[in-house]
Order: sequence, then C-alpha cells, then structure tokens
Amino acid sequence: MTGVDGAHLDAGVGRSRALLRARGVMRRFGRRTALEPTELDVFGGETLALIGPNGAGKSTLLGILAGALIPTDGSVAVDDGLRVGWVPQRPAFYGRLTPRENVELFARLERLDERAEADRLLAALAVPDVRNPASTLSGGNQQRLNLAVALLGRPDVLLLDEPTAALDPGRRQALWDIAGQVRGRGGAVVFVTQNLEELERAADRVVVLLDGRVVFDGSHEAWASSPEADVFA
Amino acid sequence: MSRIGLLLGKDLRILRRSPALVLALVAYPIAIAALVALVARFATDRPRVAFVDEDNLPQTLVVGGQSFDVDAVLRQVEQEVDLIPLSAEEADRRLASGDVVAEIIVPSGFASRLRGMAQSPTLILRTSRGGLSGRVERQTEALVFNLNRLLQKAYIQANLDYVELLKHGGTGTFLGNQFTVLGLARAGEILDRILGSTQDPSVAAEARNLREFIDDAQLALDQTGASLRATANPIVLRTEDEARRTQLLSTQLQAYALALTLAILCILVAAAGIALERDENVIGRLARGLVRLTELVVAKIGLAALLAVAFGLGLAIVFAGALTISGENGQPWGRLPLLALGLLLAGAAFGAFGTLLGVLAREARTASLVALLVAVPIVLLGFLPEVSVAPAAWVSRAFPFSHSVTFFQSSLYDFDPWSAVARQAAWLAALTVVFGAGARLGVRRLLT
Repeated sequence: MTGVDGAHLDAGVGRSRALLRARGVMRRFGRRTALEPTELDVFGGETLALIGPNGAGKSTLLGILAGALIPTDGSVAVDDGLRVGWVPQRPAFYGRLTPRENVELFARLERLDERAEADRLLAALAVPDVRNPASTLSGGNQQRLNLAVALLGRPDVLLLDEPTAALDPGRRQALWDIAGQVRGRGGAVVFVTQNLEELERAADRVVVLLDGRVVFDGSHEAWASSPEADVFA
Repeated sequence: MSRIGLLLGKDLRILRRSPALVLALVAYPIAIAALVALVARFATDRPRVAFVDEDNLPQTLVVGGQSFDVDAVLRQVEQEVDLIPLSAEEADRRLASGDVVAEIIVPSGFASRLRGMAQSPTLILRTSRGGLSGRVERQTEALVFNLNRLLQKAYIQANLDYVELLKHGGTGTFLGNQFTVLGLARAGEILDRILGSTQDPSVAAEARNLREFIDDAQLALDQTGASLRATANPIVLRTEDEARRTQLLSTQLQAYALALTLAILCILVAAAGIALERDENVIGRLARGLVRLTELVVAKIGLAALLAVAFGLGLAIVFAGALTISGENGQPWGRLPLLALGLLLAGAAFGAFGTLLGVLAREARTASLVALLVAVPIVLLGFLPEVSVAPAAWVSRAFPFSHSVTFFQSSLYDFDPWSAVARQAAWLAALTVVFGAGARLGVRRLLT
C-alpha cells in the first residue's frame, strides 16, 4: 500500500510483485513544483489509472516512471531485464522519417530485429506502411505509430498517456486488447486518462493526483465509493 | 552500428529529405562570404577626401619644359580615394563632422613654386582621428610619391639641359632671368687656339692645365644624366606581371570563405538538430536507456563534423576549379588530407558550440535564430585584424572561427605548416571539449 496524508488508501488490489518502484520522486520546473515527493509501486497484473485535473502532475509522474523525465529528487527502480513501453500524450517519433523507418530505427536502438519488429507492429496496429513522412499521417495513425514504437520488444509494463484521445472506437478496443495481453503476461499497464468511462472499463487500481500530490491510491471499487470520485465526476 | 552511428544516419537521412534546406544552408554562408569579401575589398576602398584647391591649378602645368595634365593626375588619385572638390571652409566643416576623412589642400603659390623648380612646393594633408585616417595618410603619401616620380623626370631633364648648356654653351633662363654661357666645348676650342699660337711657356702651361680640366669636366658631365637618375631612384622597382592569383581567388579569401561557411552551417545544423529532438518529443524516448545523453551530444557534434568535411572539401574542389578556369596557380591537391583534418576539427568545434546553443534555446526555431544571431558576430570578430583591434582578437580566440581560418591557410599554403596546424588543432579540440561539456551539462534541460 502506498499513500499520502489524508488520502483514501486501499490495499485490496491483487498484488504480485512490484515491477516499478518510485521512491520519493519529485519534479520541479523552475520554481514550480509539478510533482511533490511521491511513492508508487506498480505491480504485475494490474491496470493502474492515473487521474486528476489538468496540471496535477499525472504526465510528469508517468514520464518519470518511463525514464523519459529525470526526477529532481528520488528514483525509480526497475527489475533487471524488464521492458517498459511508453506512449506519451504527444507522439514521439521523427516526423521526416517514414513510419517503417521510425519503427526500424527505434528497434535497432533497442538491439532488436528491426525488420521483423516493423513488420509485426505495423501490421498489428494497422499503421500505413507508406513512403511518406510520418508527419503526414492522420492524427489517429500517428498515435498508432506512437504506440507501435512503445510496443517494440513486447514490453512488460506499458505506460500510456491519454492513449485513446485520437483513436476511433475500433482502435481503442484494439489498444485495450493489447493492454490486456501485456497484463495477461504478468505485466502491468499504467495509463493517464481524463475519461471516466475508460477508467471504469479498464482500471483495477486508481491513483488520484491533485496539485502534484497523490490524494488517493486504491482499487477502482474503493475509488468509486470515495468522496473524491464525486469531485471528478 | 553504434547508437551514435544510428543517430548520425538518421540525421543525414532527414537532411537528405530536405534538399532546399541543405541548399540554403550551404548557399547562404557562401553568399555571405562573397559579400563580406566584396565589402572588405571595396567598402572602405575609396574613402571620401576633400580636395581644396587654393591655387586654382590650371588644367595643364608646364614644369621644366614638360607638360602635366593636372586632371589626369587627379583622376589617378581618385582610383584610391573619392576626391570631393570643396572650399576651405566647407572642407573644414565636413572634416569636423566626419563626412570626409581627410582634406588635401593645395596652397596658394603651389604651381608657381613648382614651375620655378627652385623650392619644393608643399601639399597639406589634414586628417581626422579614426580607423581610416592612417590609411588616407598612406594613400596621400603614395600620391605625393607618384607626383614626385612624375616631376623628377622634369627636374632631371631641366638639370640635364643646364649641363648641356655648360658643355656646349648657349642661352638659358633661371628664375626668369636669361643668360648666355660659353660652354666647355667652345672654351676648349679657344684654349686649343691659344696653345697653338702662344710663345710664352708659362701661358702654354696654364692653358694645358685648363685644357685638362675641361676634358675632365666634359668626361664627368657626360655621366651626369645617369648619375642624376640614380640619385633620384637609388632603388628601381620593376613590376613583373605574371599569372598569379587575383585577390578574389586569394588563399586568404579561400580560408575565410571555408571557415565562414562551416561556422554558419555547423552551428545552425547542430543547434537546430539537438533542439529538434525535443520538438519531435523524441528525446524522452531516447533518454529511456536507448541512448545516453552524452552519445546524443556526440552525435550532433559528429553530424556537424561530417557535414564540414563533405561541404568543405566540395568548396575546396570548386575553388580549385575556379583557379584552373582562370588560369591561375592551382590548388595544392597534396594538402587536401590535411585540410580534411582541419575541416573535421573545425566542424566538431562549431558543432559543439551549436549544440550548446541548441540546448540553451531548447526549441528548434529559437535555436536556429539564436545560432544565426550568434554565429554572425563571432565570424565578424574573426575578420578584425589582431594588430588593429586586439580585444576583438582575444574574444575571437574563444571561438573556433579564427583558429579554423589559420588552420585552413596553413594547411593549404604554408611551406612548413606543422607547428601552426598543431597549435590550431589543439585549440579546436579544446574548444570542442569545452563546448561539448557545456552542451552535455545542459542537455537535461531538453527533458521536459
């Protein structure tokens, strides 16, 4: 169980082992503190939703868990050999490269078989395998390419920052199917969302952030019956 | 392939897909280099100089029997300076306001003194304080030297006419007074007649002495022409016109053009390149263990170094082609490997500096603008001669431009380049390390 003063805590979520362990992570941007010192464990087999109003520190915490953002203080421990896939809210790929070149480049940087990975992921996520620059793709296709890069090497933990914002319903379902596969392998999925319907449907654990602090960490059921749920409803 | 190699390959691929950008990146500094060369060559080439003629010089001046076209002399001067005829008061006013950098004053009585050939007339030069005054002074000295050279012919001829008068006799004028001279030749004839007719041994002896003196004097005066010319020109300068490089294709210009092109190209590419990693939101993905931040910085420095070698050698070859077409002395092809090393080091140093700027600017557009704004004054500092503006030279040493110029010049054209090249290579390597370390320290700023 992790928590912060005054937060509703619940240890009832099924725990296996902590795949990611954030200890005292905090982040300042200039004088502004985006994330107060935070403790968070991410366990195998769970789907954790990070929610909170804009500017609460959700994306900052997700970026720190992903290793994409260096915390001002604290650290994140990751099991040896554990693969973490990260889907940032804004697509993170080279706009002047084609979709395949992007996947192949990141695959090579990950020391993976670039051709096999590109074939697998472009097909699985229906990313157009075109010779045009990735920046010319539609918003939905760009988000799928973003996801494809995150899924390189079959990650054990998938970190998703508002992943379904630009996806049509069919693609949203495909995304949650993939998330289910990760969880089914004993992995974990952490996602940031503002969509309560998505939260209800996918999350079995909810962490609520407010002004850079965790104010709730518990099961979805506990969240649903907590007074904070009314605030965010 | 290493991770640095993969990033380099990616950047080169992206550049290849932007041919217009590459063309602009190369053409822009070359155009700037050409403009700077032209400005350096011509902008201060003809400073404005007031010309005050208080003597109302005639169009034609006759000195020692030789005519001088005054207008032609002034036109000759105007190749060096922009002569503006003004009254004395107006010239003083404009000199005080800085509108002209000097006054050349022809005082009243100048022409008559010149014609008289007895006293040297005086030209007056008044200069302002400032960068161009020394230059105008030198140009005016050159003008006086050239005028004296023209006049000395007339003076020598006039003196030789007097010598001829002494030798052969006749009528001449000096300071307006006419006079008649017997001449040595006729004096000798008279003495010969005396020697033939006199019976007095003492008269005959004196006449013989006089005859010897006349012979000696005639021999000496026969040498007067050469002697006078030698006195006027102890050293004669002979100008030989052979096929050598024009200023436009000078080694100095080549070195400056190369350094300027690299400065703008490499600083811009490295600055925009590192900032683009953040703009594309990719740096976070890379920093997640895919690439170390040091490797990212090294990749940008490497990209700049690679571009420097490719475009620098390309420019050197184009320059060599221009030399061949113009029939001038060719490029020292054997030195190209040394030049390539210089291009690599210079590109790395410029790239490290550009990467630092990109890290500080954080956004690609801002980084490009900052890179250009910073690169231009750094380049201009490097153009200032150390002997004239020492502080500028000290500041310039903290940046790669002046070291690159020296390296390129030495590597291509010094007979024994090694010590200069080694010194500049050490400078460039040190600057790469310093700027690269700064960029590495700051690159975390991009992870937001």
